[in-house]
Amino acid sequence: MKWNVGSKLGLGFGAALAIFVLVGIASWQSTRAQSEEARLVAHTHDVIATLAGLDSAVRRAESEQRGYLITAEERYLRPYEAAVAEINTYRLRLVDLVSDNPRQSARAQELGPALADRVARLAESLEVRRRQDFQAVQAVIIAGQGKAAMDKLHDQIETMAQEEERLLETRAVASAEAMRAANQTVIGGTLIALLVAGVAGFAITRNVSGPLRKLTAAADRIAVGDLGVSVDLGERSDEIGLLAQAFTRMTRSLRSMAGVAELIAAGDLRASLQPQSAEDALGHAFVKMIANLRAQIGGMLEGATVLGSAASEIVASTTQLAAGASESAAAVSQTTTTVEEIRQTAQLASQKARAVSDTAQKTVQVSATGRKSTEDSLAGMARIRSQMEAIGASMMRLSEQTQAIGQIIASVEDLAAQSNLLAVNAAIEAAKAGEHGKGFGVVAQEVKTLAEQSRQATDRVRALLGDIQKATTAAVMATEQGSKAVDAGNRQTEVAGESILALAGSANEAALAATQIAASSQQQLVGMDQVAGAMESIKQASTQNVASARQLETAARNLNDLGQRLKGLVASYSI
Amino acid sequence: MSATDSGRQVLRERARALARVPEEPASHQRLELLEFRLAQERYAVETRHVSDVHPFRDLTPLPGTPAFIRGVVNLRGRLLAVFDLKKFFALPEQGITDLHSIIVVNTPGLELGLLADVVVGVRQVDAGSLAPALPTLSDIAAEYLKGVNAERVVVLDLDRLLADPRILVNHQST
Repeated sequence: MKWNVGSKLGLGFGAALAIFVLVGIASWQSTRAQSEEARLVAHTHDVIATLAGLDSAVRRAESEQRGYLITAEERYLRPYEAAVAEINTYRLRLVDLVSDNPRQSARAQELGPALADRVARLAESLEVRRRQDFQAVQAVIIAGQGKAAMDKLHDQIETMAQEEERLLETRAVASAEAMRAANQTVIGGTLIALLVAGVAGFAITRNVSGPLRKLTAAADRIAVGDLGVSVDLGERSDEIGLLAQAFTRMTRSLRSMAGVAELIAAGDLRASLQPQSAEDALGHAFVKMIANLRAQIGGMLEGATVLGSAASEIVASTTQLAAGASESAAAVSQTTTTVEEIRQTAQLASQKARAVSDTAQKTVQVSATGRKSTEDSLAGMARIRSQMEAIGASMMRLSEQTQAIGQIIASVEDLAAQSNLLAVNAAIEAAKAGEHGKGFGVVAQEVKTLAEQSRQATDRVRALLGDIQKATTAAVMATEQGSKAVDAGNRQTEVAGESILALAGSANEAALAATQIAASSQQQLVGMDQVAGAMESIKQASTQNVASARQLETAARNLNDLGQRLKGLVASYSI
Repeated sequence: MSATDSGRQVLRERARALARVPEEPASHQRLELLEFRLAQERYAVETRHVSDVHPFRDLTPLPGTPAFIRGVVNLRGRLLAVFDLKKFFALPEQGITDLHSIIVVNTPGLELGLLADVVVGVRQVDAGSLAPALPTLSDIAAEYLKGVNAERVVVLDLDRLLADPRILVNHQST
């Protein structure tokens, strides 16, 4: 019989599995027995509890009944009746519980009449108490029939409880026995199963892993490209042996592929290769590769030829390009210089515009000063006018006073004339007096002379007064003319003020315009700066273009050389 | 040295002439005159006829009188007829102003106010120095003139003037 690896594994692990199943069955049976025992124990405890409850109910009924007997109060009757009902319930449950045990069942049946007898006696005593008085009941109790029935009942219940206790003990012993047997089965079975599994695992490992390690080492060497390996595992007919044979076939196939690849590497594309099968990916790939290589090398040959001529043309073009780039660089350089000049001009214009703006600002300030001066001169004109008016008023007063003086002078003249006449009269009187009046005549002559002098003085005063009046009139006229001149001056000043205001407005507008011009000029300058920068960049780019063109020329020459070399290389292939 | 002597003689004569006291004119021949002006001409009357001089004021014209009677004035309570010599002598008229004066003259039986432009003053002249009236002076006034002195002052003869019946208005009208 031939053992392959699967059969060996199945046998070893199957034996261990069977032992584990046996151990499991044994444990299950033991567990089931245990649970049955536990149920029986619980049943026995239930019976004992029911017996205790029955006893307690009987005692409570008796106690409540005794309460009534003593007090004859109705409130003791309801608990009593409840206890009697409870006794009946417990009894029925006991009969039901012990129905599986014939001996206990018989005893329960016996318990029934005893209980009925006890309840009947209690009822009887109650009837006695209800109908008669306490002494009659006392006599019944002293008779002791109730107590004897009670003791008997108690003995029966105790007997049943002892029977159940004994049963409980027997069942505990049996349960312990069954437990110990189950433990032994589980421990032993487990140990045997572990032993069998270990032995089987060791044998299978020895039989399988050694040859596999050898094959793994061979695969590793193939993986690093060593195709000269061979695996000898002797005559083995299992899966390991088949694997070793497959390895040998694989290395053989790979070696043939390597031979073809060496031929291709040597440039011989005439080698032909048959794929091992329809699924031989490497073989098909090699066939496809050879075909592709043939086509590609042919194409490359043509390409190299075309490349050579194209490279020659490129060399010629790049030479022209380099020359053109040089010319363009020179032109760009000139343009850059021109742009720089324009930029300087723009800068100058910007400075001039700023100067104009400053001047306009100064003009605005000057016009503001002029406006203020105009206002001042207007105020001055107003003062002059008021002073002229004051002068006019003074002149009028002076004229009036001059007239008053004229009147006074007229009076003085009149006085002088009268004095004259008086002097004449005195002289006449003196003449009439003859020799005696001569001295008086001299005095009269003196008075007349004085009067004449007074008259002459008044004439001079009058002449002076006339001059003063003329002068006053002239002054009044002059004052009026001055007033008119002041008015005219005032108007002129107002006109001048309006003109200066208009001038200030114009100056403001001019200043604004100059500021805008300065700003525009500044922007223009910035723009020219940017243009100059751009031209500088263009210049650099142009210089780089020239360099690039030179490099391109060199590269084209290299390309041309490369094309020639490529042509030589392709020619070494034999298609 | 004769020239010197003759020169000394001349100087001596001259000193003598200068040192001589002027001859005192005869007192009875002297005329006391009141000089006044009428239309730029100088006239004078003897002061013995003149009582006093007053400013010409508050004339009240009199209707129905000759032109030379200008009217009447109230002089300190006296009514006085004002006689205009310019009208009488047909001198150029210059109008009446306050500067005119009235010379009150008296003759026996008649008191009259003469209207004068300006009263110049009282002066004394020699009666012999009066020249007869110049024919060019004024034809009308000739009969009332006493004479004209060297300063062309016409001295009126009030005795004759006031005796002229032409000035007696009442007499003529009645």
